[in-house]
Amino acid sequence: MTAPRLAAAKLIRLNRRTHVIVRIVAVLLCLGTLLALFWAERDSVAPALKWLRLHGLLCAALAAIASAFLIARRRALKRAEYARSWLAAVPVRSSTARWESLAIETLPAVAAIGVLGVLSLACALLLALAGANMPGSGRAVIFTPLAIAAYLGGGIAAGIIGSYLVPQPKPVILPPGSRYVPHQRVRRDKGVRPSLRALGAWPVRQMFAWAQPKIVSRASIPILVMMPMGTTADAAMVAIALAGTLGALVLLWSAVIFASRAARGWLAPLPARRGVVIRAFLLPACAVIVAAGATEALLLLVFDVSYRTSALLGACTAAIGCSTVGAALVWNLRPRRAP
Amino acid sequence: MTGPILEIRELRAGYGPRTVLENISMTLAAGDWFVLLGPNGCGKSTLLDCVVSRLPPSGGEIRIAGHSLRTDPYEAKLQLGYGCAPDVLPGLLTARQCLEVHAGAKGMTAIGDDLFALADELKFTAYLESFVDTLSLGTRQKLAVLLALVGDPQLIVLDEAFNGLDPASALVLKRHLRTRIERRRGALLLATHSLDIVEHYADRAAVLIDGRLKHAWSKDELQQLRANGGDFEAALAEAIGEPES
Repeated sequence: MTAPRLAAAKLIRLNRRTHVIVRIVAVLLCLGTLLALFWAERDSVAPALKWLRLHGLLCAALAAIASAFLIARRRALKRAEYARSWLAAVPVRSSTARWESLAIETLPAVAAIGVLGVLSLACALLLALAGANMPGSGRAVIFTPLAIAAYLGGGIAAGIIGSYLVPQPKPVILPPGSRYVPHQRVRRDKGVRPSLRALGAWPVRQMFAWAQPKIVSRASIPILVMMPMGTTADAAMVAIALAGTLGALVLLWSAVIFASRAARGWLAPLPARRGVVIRAFLLPACAVIVAAGATEALLLLVFDVSYRTSALLGACTAAIGCSTVGAALVWNLRPRRAP
Repeated sequence: MTGPILEIRELRAGYGPRTVLENISMTLAAGDWFVLLGPNGCGKSTLLDCVVSRLPPSGGEIRIAGHSLRTDPYEAKLQLGYGCAPDVLPGLLTARQCLEVHAGAKGMTAIGDDLFALADELKFTAYLESFVDTLSLGTRQKLAVLLALVGDPQLIVLDEAFNGLDPASALVLKRHLRTRIERRRGALLLATHSLDIVEHYADRAAVLIDGRLKHAWSKDELQQLRANGGDFEAALAEAIGEPES
């Protein structure tokens, strides 16, 4: 008896084989870009690498803690998923089930170790090629990426073992998206007023539904971490507000695409003119985008950016946002053609 | 309106290179309750998708109340009501807003009282202010059917509309649909696996096998079957060539 979950995953990958080439090309492009950046910035990267190597143990400890918590979380999620999966009733030997679970739960960690290894080797090769131009050149510098990867990889591996000591997190069950949607209750006696206006509210509501408090709080952690030491609370708040505004814009843009795609099937049998539907979707979304652009300009002003630049950036954001949203709507709501 | 409510001529449709429907021709006259039967994957939903303009056919012609769906889609769709699958409904709109959008798209100024009376009978009125994503499957199904009836269309198209409905609501809906198509002189096209609808409500029925209409029962044939206390399962098995057990 083979491991059913891994076998199913392999079959799904085989069914999607048309996308494999695209994925490989995308990964190679990312890798190439990273290495090109590394090559371009090699002079300034060397001191950072040196710092990382000096604090290798600290890096390893941080990697171990992060890896332990993430794997424990993944384990809880995968176990809950498996209990509800179509494979839940398939008989599996306990030994097979154990190694299959281990493979599934630790897959991202193992992949991270692999990626670290490849990246460090590539960086070491680049440093060797850079040769005498590097500050503090010599074998020590060339082996620095390998040493850092060893520290981080070791930390991640230790985290895999440590994950069994972390208390099992509660499975996260997200409530329906409408829980977080501001909505004014209509009086019962108020009749139904025929109009397409509700279509415009849909993407804005979708934005609120996606921006659940738990997700927003998690998204703001990296922003807080990126603040340099000594940042004042005022500056931090403005930076968070700016990031929040831009994040809301990205969410709204995705929400318009999502809602217009979903509406296509629902609205197809209705005698609504395409232009009217596009307008119903577009106007509220554009109003929110323009408001976000104005907010962005105000926040930049607080950051001591000049009036002219702030206004220009805000206007650019609004113009780009509105035009891309409009283009997405025109594309998604295009008439269907016979095959 | 004296012509057929729905006229399908030599319809051909499919997905990419795969042809699902081949040479389908049928007409629905005023007052017809037409039931489309057939095994899973035979093309019932594909046929309905073509009729409601969700899937453009690769050949043939569909006319609704005399208007071609290809050349005059606006007028054709004005006479059409489609009960979509519950999962297609927008989760972040309220039931009331879904009704508003449908009525707005049909250019109506108000929704008829009969629709609210039906909503009351189906015990749906309490959910009008609820977001669709908080509704149960059966309640969404009720909403989908109510949306199909907005604008009192001549042609009502329903796909497995009684799935998930409790028996009392299903009975209310079947009786309402019967009364509505007789009063409106409209027609109902329903895809279902439920033979009790053929037994008690349908005027005509047809069975679709592998994308072709294999057999059709006329109004007289169905009435004769009913009069003889007919076994509809046996009749269906005979029509599709399955040996009777």
